[in-house]
Amino acid sequence: MWLALETSSDRASVAVGHPGQVLSEVSLEGARRHAGALPRLIDEALGQAGVELSVLEAVVLGDGPGSFTGLRVGAAVAKALVRSHGMSFHTTPALAAIAWAAAPLPEERVLAVVNALRGEVYAAEYRFPEGRLEVLQEPTVWLPERLLADCPVPDVLCGIVPEGLAERLAEWQSGRHPRTVRGVATAGALLALAARRDGVTMVADPAGWEPRYGRPAEAQAKWERDHGQKLPDSPGHLS
Amino acid sequence: MRVLGIESSCDETSAAVIRLDQGRPTLESVVILSQDVHKVFGGVVPELASRAHLTAIGPVVDRALGEAGATLDTIDAIAVTAGPGLVGALLVGLMYGKTLAWASGKPLIGVHHMEGHLFAPALEDAEFAPPFVALLVSGGHTLLLDVTAWGEYRLLGQTLDDAAGEAFDKVATLLGLGYPGGAPLERLAATGKAGKFVFPRPLLRDLKGDGPNRWNFSFSGLKTAVLRTVRLSTDLDAERADLARGFQDAAIEVLVEKTAVAVEELGYPLAMIGGGVACNRALAARLRERLGTRVRVSVASPRLNTDNAAMIAAAGAWRLARGERSGPGLEPSDSLPLPGLLSPAA
Repeated sequence: MWLALETSSDRASVAVGHPGQVLSEVSLEGARRHAGALPRLIDEALGQAGVELSVLEAVVLGDGPGSFTGLRVGAAVAKALVRSHGMSFHTTPALAAIAWAAAPLPEERVLAVVNALRGEVYAAEYRFPEGRLEVLQEPTVWLPERLLADCPVPDVLCGIVPEGLAERLAEWQSGRHPRTVRGVATAGALLALAARRDGVTMVADPAGWEPRYGRPAEAQAKWERDHGQKLPDSPGHLS
Repeated sequence: MRVLGIESSCDETSAAVIRLDQGRPTLESVVILSQDVHKVFGGVVPELASRAHLTAIGPVVDRALGEAGATLDTIDAIAVTAGPGLVGALLVGLMYGKTLAWASGKPLIGVHHMEGHLFAPALEDAEFAPPFVALLVSGGHTLLLDVTAWGEYRLLGQTLDDAAGEAFDKVATLLGLGYPGGAPLERLAATGKAGKFVFPRPLLRDLKGDGPNRWNFSFSGLKTAVLRTVRLSTDLDAERADLARGFQDAAIEVLVEKTAVAVEELGYPLAMIGGGVACNRALAARLRERLGTRVRVSVASPRLNTDNAAMIAAAGAWRLARGERSGPGLEPSDSLPLPGLLSPAA
């Protein structure tokens, strides 16, 4: 039995089931409520599926990109569950879950987009050939104009396209317009991806694992620009 | 009762195991991972702190359990810092701790960070118990409290602007000592001449009257006075130690005088200093000197005065023993009020 957690957007969702089979799914709107509500949501999903926490053998987490805080809420909960109950830990990008939920045909190229704020978007491109997840473009932060210039027109455009970008995407060269599907990542989609080859990645070191933040902290980016080098790795010191 | 404590309110990821026997907390382990990344920024970058907590929390908790010879199964309860602090940083330790508690069916208690500081000396000092006057001085807080009993705190005074620790850090930066600057400033001040530079003692005169700022502190003007003197200095290298000494003497005199007068007026036999600035040995020495043998001054060792999970576990254990519990809906708060805090007028 698997538990799926998705907290990268305003909607937190939790699903219980098996890879490819959702037994229960519950969700909650409002990013500020995630931290308080997540254990209760997990309880609800377990209750609806009629299973105990102790029978869970795996957790799959949407690993971003998305809200930094949302990602950490989900990650801290997943890490603690994995630590206390010895479950295996799996992740997949929230963008892959969005792409899957758009129900593409096996040969269709799906571009999933979410708002990255500051005038940028996170985008990734996938294809869903029979029983598999194919990554055409890993999740990356884009300026909308670069996305339009560098990315070929997909068959399906999905996610939440920020205001202002939707009109510009309509200007996509070539006259072809992708089918557009609005949607956010859900925990149920994570369980669906878990049934596909390459759909989720098993994390060998859950404790040291980090979500896919999508971009560095602002202060770090500024420091690196100013100094023309990477911020030195500083693991800290123990006392 | 054996309690696992977790603290992540700023830039230290910490976990500890303590045991509470007949109301006395004893320390079994404390692990503190201090994030070094903030040094290059001259202050804590909240997003970087939060990211570092997320990768550190698991190993730090495991190490604390290991050093105590404990496992999650042999822990009776979990105490986590719920605030105040950086919300994103608090969130990591709180979510990790509350999920461990919820998933393993153990009691959970959210702890106020400053109440944790009040309990720190109890881990090393068997005679430490209210009533006492507490001076809590850190990078984020400056509080003078009348602790009539555990859980009953009367706020005497607080800072009107910068926290004491913030002033130490800012002056250390002005003097080119880097961040965090408390320890290097203290070392440098020890080599400086007293009286070479005399800086203002903010709000010290108010101690004589009965005005609203009698017990309050202010460090912003003192910092500006040092800044002005540094700017006028023609040979900063030669004067650096004397300036550090001048600043430290001014800050300490105000902290010591207000604390000492409060203890004397209340007639308590005990005072404590807690928080990161309590690591400054000159501060404790001056307060002991000022109070003589009538009043004992309890100060925990440095690792229990900087942000640490042992004090959180100790404060949490006391609340747990009273039957208090937090639910799985516990959330972090940057402005959590101190539980049991009475207003100055009360």
